[in-house]
Amino acid sequence: MTATPASDSGSGSATAGSGSASRSGASATPAIELRGLHKSFGSNHVLKGIDLSVQPRQVMCLIGASGSGKSTLLRCVNRLEEPTSGAVLIDGIDITHPDCDLDLVRRDIGMVFQQFNLFPHLSAIGNVTLAQRKVLGRSDDESRTVAIEMLERVGLSDKADSYPSQLSGGQQQRVAIARALAMNPKMMLFDEATSALDPELVGDVLDVMRQLASEGMTMLVVTHEMGFARRVADHVVFMDQGVVCEQGPPDAVLGSPSTPRLQQFLEKVLEH
Amino acid sequence: MSVEAQLGESDLPELYRSGRAKAARSKRNRIITYVISAVIVAVVVAYGDWAKIADKYLDVERAGELFPEIITIATKNTLIYTVGAFVGGVTIGLVMAIMKLSSLRPYRWFAITYIEIFRGLPALMTIFLVGFVAPTALGVRFPQVLGVESAGIIALSLVAGAYLAETIRAGIEAVPKGQVEAARSLGMTQGQTLRIVVIPQAFRLVIPPLTNELVLLLKDTALLASLGTTAASVELTKFGKDAFNKDFNGTPFVVAAVMYLLITIPLTQVVAWLERRNKAMR
Ligand SMILES: Nc1ncnc2c1ncn2[C@@H]1O[C@H](COP(=O)(O)OP(=O)(O)OP(=O)(O)O)[C@@H](O)[C@H]1O
Ligand SMILES: [Mg+2]
Repeated sequence: MTATPASDSGSGSATAGSGSASRSGASATPAIELRGLHKSFGSNHVLKGIDLSVQPRQVMCLIGASGSGKSTLLRCVNRLEEPTSGAVLIDGIDITHPDCDLDLVRRDIGMVFQQFNLFPHLSAIGNVTLAQRKVLGRSDDESRTVAIEMLERVGLSDKADSYPSQLSGGQQQRVAIARALAMNPKMMLFDEATSALDPELVGDVLDVMRQLASEGMTMLVVTHEMGFARRVADHVVFMDQGVVCEQGPPDAVLGSPSTPRLQQFLEKVLEH
Repeated sequence: MSVEAQLGESDLPELYRSGRAKAARSKRNRIITYVISAVIVAVVVAYGDWAKIADKYLDVERAGELFPEIITIATKNTLIYTVGAFVGGVTIGLVMAIMKLSSLRPYRWFAITYIEIFRGLPALMTIFLVGFVAPTALGVRFPQVLGVESAGIIALSLVAGAYLAETIRAGIEAVPKGQVEAARSLGMTQGQTLRIVVIPQAFRLVIPPLTNELVLLLKDTALLASLGTTAASVELTKFGKDAFNKDFNGTPFVVAAVMYLLITIPLTQVVAWLERRNKAMR
């Protein structure tokens, strides 16, 4: 197992920076490993053989143009989307195996969505306690204690009793992060967590994510925030048309892109 | 003084001339409607035999004799039939809705067959099938429950369940997919997701049509007048008819009708309010 697998796209693949694999070394079992992952929707071949691994405590940012398959890849990691072929290994165990208990797998993988997806009929604390009680079997008291702690962590302890409709987008997203963290996940997936937010609210959410990263959370982050990718990521992956086009440490990938496609993409993103 | 007022009709822009013509026409139509209505009311008042009408339909003494039974038995029973059938209908409707959304084909077919049959039959036919055919052909005996005929509750539940299945299914489908994904990503099972995330939200969405079904059910309990009931298990319409049959005075029907309206009109107001609120929340 290598920490920086090559993409099977052949010509377009480039791996920048060799000695930078991860903070915990290349020998550990990857937290997330994708092997030859393919996904088609009907005749639409979206993921065309993805090989990737995210090491424990690593922060990997996934960038790429709209429609390149970033969300689909992320959703294959906790099998919200069913891979067409290939393997998804979580802590070394293939979760595409038919015997795999997905509900158990998903407890350990927190996910944050672009549209927050808070439960609108529950208050903030209700959102954060629900799965703790129903999935982990924690008592009302314990789940409340954990929920308050998590809401404090995202800076929203004063909003515990507010309903999602009474919260700003940024606050809703931070409650969603607290909801995921309350399950004590081993890793977190973020799918454009800040894309649906007003610009002035983006910072609060990114701060929480940066804090999480500094505490050593394993994170796979789909984002259009190049500043975040550059400053927080250990590893940046550029996807293009269903393949990994280029990957490596952020300075190398974002600073001196070696493929024309990534150069074009970065020019476009940085124009704004 | 505005500029247009000083100008002659022919100097006005076409837009204004056309607008004035329309206003004049609608005023004329309104006046014609008022006149016709006034004539009809005048004819009815002049030619109606008010003494007879009062005697045959609004006899205060006969009305008084209906009390308190019309409340303590007939209206009470009507409400029990309604609420019973509503609870039964929502339960059946929920089960059928979930079966219809199932990925397993036999479940879907069962639900579709059920829904098509009980929406396709006249409600009165279902009442006969349950109340008369089932006991004679199948030997089923329906006990009295809470002082009313359970056959009536069952028949109306079957009918309401078929309509509510579609309503509830639409509600479930209207819950955003992201809700399911959020729940599943937290490790909830499919069943937990349905029970604690999807169904509570679906019911919130369908409260107005659900309340509307309650009103329809209340009126449909009148069909149970054709069912064999005892003096104690009778609902409002049969109660009115039994009282009418004594001497063919229409007063009991009028009083029973008022009883229905006393319940349905406030309920439809509630439906309208719920619908306005739902719209405002969106
Ligand atoms: N459930 C689905 N059914 C059919 N096609 C889908 C589905 N989900 C995604 N796709 C298709 O897969 C392709 C990749 O979509 P995906 O959402 O993964 O892209 P993305 O990189 O996340 O883009 P964006 O930046 O816009 O979020 C698109 O062509 C999309 O139309
Ligand atoms: Mg996406």
